[in-house]
Amino acid sequence: MQIAESRDGEVLVLALEGRLDAATAAAFEERLLARIADGERRIAVDAGAISYVSSAGLRVFLMAARRLAPPDAGFAVAALQPQVREVFDVAGFSSVLSLHPSLDAAVAALR
Amino acid sequence: MAGELTLRVRNDTAELARVAAALEAFAAEHGLGDKDVFDVTLALDEVLTNVIWYAFDGGAEQWIDVRVTLGDLDLEVEVRDGGRAFDPLSVPAVDLALERPAEEREIGGLGMHLVRHAMHALEYRREDDRNVLTMRRRVSREEA
Repeated sequence: MQIAESRDGEVLVLALEGRLDAATAAAFEERLLARIADGERRIAVDAGAISYVSSAGLRVFLMAARRLAPPDAGFAVAALQPQVREVFDVAGFSSVLSLHPSLDAAVAALR
Repeated sequence: MAGELTLRVRNDTAELARVAAALEAFAAEHGLGDKDVFDVTLALDEVLTNVIWYAFDGGAEQWIDVRVTLGDLDLEVEVRDGGRAFDPLSVPAVDLALERPAEEREIGGLGMHLVRHAMHALEYRREDDRNVLTMRRRVSREEA
């Protein structure tokens, strides 16, 4: 699973690619925690290239949402593929996380 | 037309990608659809992750046996491990009521919730010092 970083103003964008399972979720969690420790408060995940997620990956999204709660911070997820989005839906996470169809919409929601 | 896939999985989460690839190849060979493959992979992943993380003491290498059997109408997955006696079906269902704040969600039960959603029948038994979990899913297959 690859993680690429970029910025859009004050928003840090993490673009993930590949499978997010019990083996790879730790790297995602470590990156998020490191950037939060660096002082990042608005983070958007471009999830368009995530092909698969299990509960191990879902936990990391929930952790991020808790740590970056509004109004002082924000966390948004963009462009989940339909089969991945369904896992979020079944888990009941779609109502708890800020999910958006595109990265632009996710970043806009964090401004 | 029946088919069977057997895998010997080491108690290491790095094995999960290999299991997923093996399932995908098996599915392609037998005309299984994308949704069936995705959901079965997820269920098996969740069960294996639980076994890898919780079933064994110490750091010794342990093996988990997976058998996937495809019939005309359904697919059966059996996971057999020699870890401590544990019935994953005893894990309480996650409360996904919208009014509960996210902080209270029982993350431990989330994996089994996903398993129950993907698989239509689940059975657990303890046999010869092994945990044996059997899961079934009705599947649709494309004509060869």
